[in-house]
Amino acid sequence: MEKRERLVYDVLVVGGGIAGCESALNLAKLGYKVLLIEKELSIGGKMILLSKVFPTLDCAACITTPKVSEIARHPNITIYTSTRSSSIIRKDDHNFEVRLVRKPRYVHIDDCTGCQLCEEACPVSITDEYQYGMVGRKAAYVPFSIASPRAAAIDIENCTLCGACERVCPTNCIDFTMEEEHLLLSVKSVVVATGFELFDPVKIPRYGFGKFKNVLTSMQMERQLAPTRPFNTILRPGDGKMPDNIAYVLCTGSRDKSVGNPICSQICCMYSIKQAQLLMGALPMADITIYYLHIRAFGKGFNEFYAQAQDMDVQFIKGKVGNITEKENGNLLLRVENIEKGTIMEAEHDMVVLSVGILPNMDLSESFKNEALTLDPFNFVDQADMMASPAKTSIDGVFVAGTASGPMDIPDSILSGGAASAEATSYLRRDTK
Amino acid sequence: MARINPDFTTELKKYGVFDANACYNCGNCTAVCTLSDQENSFPRTMVRYSVLGLEEDIQMSLDPWLCYYCGECSSTCPREAEPGELMMSLRRWLTSKYDWTGLSGLLYKSLTASLTAFILLAVVILGFSALNDFNLEQLMHFGHYFEMIAIAGVMLIILLPNIFRMWRLSVYKAEGNIPIKVYAKALGELLVHMFTQKRTLGCDDSQLRWFEHLVLVFGYLTLLFTTVFLDWFSTGSQVIILLGYAESAVIFVITLLFMADRITRNKEVSKHSHPSDWLFVVWLFMMGLSAFVVRLFIDLQILDSNLWIYLIHLIILIQWALIIVPFGKWTHFLYRSFAMYFRKVKEA
Repeated sequence: MEKRERLVYDVLVVGGGIAGCESALNLAKLGYKVLLIEKELSIGGKMILLSKVFPTLDCAACITTPKVSEIARHPNITIYTSTRSSSIIRKDDHNFEVRLVRKPRYVHIDDCTGCQLCEEACPVSITDEYQYGMVGRKAAYVPFSIASPRAAAIDIENCTLCGACERVCPTNCIDFTMEEEHLLLSVKSVVVATGFELFDPVKIPRYGFGKFKNVLTSMQMERQLAPTRPFNTILRPGDGKMPDNIAYVLCTGSRDKSVGNPICSQICCMYSIKQAQLLMGALPMADITIYYLHIRAFGKGFNEFYAQAQDMDVQFIKGKVGNITEKENGNLLLRVENIEKGTIMEAEHDMVVLSVGILPNMDLSESFKNEALTLDPFNFVDQADMMASPAKTSIDGVFVAGTASGPMDIPDSILSGGAASAEATSYLRRDTK
Repeated sequence: MARINPDFTTELKKYGVFDANACYNCGNCTAVCTLSDQENSFPRTMVRYSVLGLEEDIQMSLDPWLCYYCGECSSTCPREAEPGELMMSLRRWLTSKYDWTGLSGLLYKSLTASLTAFILLAVVILGFSALNDFNLEQLMHFGHYFEMIAIAGVMLIILLPNIFRMWRLSVYKAEGNIPIKVYAKALGELLVHMFTQKRTLGCDDSQLRWFEHLVLVFGYLTLLFTTVFLDWFSTGSQVIILLGYAESAVIFVITLLFMADRITRNKEVSKHSHPSDWLFVVWLFMMGLSAFVVRLFIDLQILDSNLWIYLIHLIILIQWALIIVPFGKWTHFLYRSFAMYFRKVKEA
């Protein structure tokens, strides 16, 4: 269904993570009309799913949710979720023609109260991707409890079209006649805040992820530690036992040419140290061991945070884990060379967390049709003038914010989002039309 | 006190393809290696020694010989430093250090030197044949006795002193005097590993590699026995004739498989081929094939009119016995089994 009318905005922000939100909010506050598009059902990106942030141990949701609701309520910001851009064409100076594809949610967001009666009525159970596969959800569902918009959606691929949700919905907001929308848009500037992908540890078969149930990714552990966690405590997925000897495997998919990602992801050392501290709070009797190559505690307060973990008796062993095998009781054996001692060891743990790295998200680069958005050698968006104008890309008027330009932590992402909005502003002020 | 020699890797690179300086010391290679254990933990230690140029420590260690190159360390190395190939290069380098003549090092490092040696030897043999008026009977007689003399000579003059040197560096220098009783007790280890190479079974890759290698070793040793002591080319016994056919066929079929692996580079172990690897496998192949053809020509009674085929066989045989056996890759047959033996002695 092609909408004939052309929408007009000052700025298109692609990506509703923390960097995109920061940019959108800054621009809106300066009076610019902003369209924020997000491919997921909720804005807030990866940060809204996290437990706490390092090195302050502030609650991630407590920082993200006020920001997200401010954006949602701001009169200058329009948010389209489940939306991707299919083409971005530069017409002339300060004029980009953008085509968007908006997937149907089968729920009218404005009418939905988030009562979750549809969820109770829905007979279909599937894996919950927002809890990273650790629990199930329904085909009619609110993505997660602090989602924004907090509205239900129908997972049409798994839906049996039984109509149970439609019958119980008190506001009649479920509408199976919704179709994919194609929107045409004119904007003066674009902010690319497409974020990152997490490394999939299935690519390292010798770590047994996907095969051994008690081998988790750090994002799964993050969910187990978050206030909106799936189990309400820390459990091993294999048998529901409370773990008391947890291992962290750093550099899983980072600094590793053999899996095609030679660079450091910059956050894994610190989030692993953070999780170790949180776990010591959640499971006071548990032993935590972090297997590392080098601890990179380079930011403000990071090294003190690392020292704090050592003082809490988190064990740090230098050596890259070679392989993991599973014992009959679900415990795991990690073969690793203790570099400081120069000896091979086989350590037993009842739960293993793979500290997975950051990979570029290349979704958007194909959208730019007549001018190429240059990527750096590692496929992140290239910063054309990294030192002087870090948000500038290869296209005049297109700016980059957050991890779209490379691995970085949350404070840096927010700074980068701020820089992108500032540079976009100065670009918009130059508009002579 | 250890002296650091940063130029060592430059020298070592003449023996193989690796990038030890890329190593960031994570220990992944040692952790994934199924042969590495508490007592002998490798290859990371050897990578460190190489980067620092600690030649003496490398010479005192047997670790390079304890690696059977499944290549798991290389394929999973996060820095693509090729630790497996480094171990291979160290084995070549050690071979040249054990060799008192110094010729091993020269031939390993220079393909030109190797080819010159091969050509020179061929010319000498052709000259010698010309002096004998290309008389087939005389040449075959010579060939038969040459084998016996060459085996004894190479063993006494080159290989035994070299094994003594290996012992002095890796056992005597590292551990000092060890009672004779210990040496006698561990002797079984030497024979077991020499004739089974069973340590390869501990490797991570398929056991087919071990089986192919074992069959090749037995094919080679029995063919040697059949030609030298059972006089395969002159015997009238049908059993011996058939045995020789089978043995030489085993040699050229398996080396053909090995060559195919090296061309397709389908396994980590065959990914990097040093000239010495090619010379070893190609010459073994040609030896098996030419021996087979010579005996076939004898049986078809057409060897008299095809003297050239025996000449080719003789040239290959002599090049093998005087270059590849004493100074080339053949020596790994001895060094590997002696390394297992010496390790047992050191552990006692």
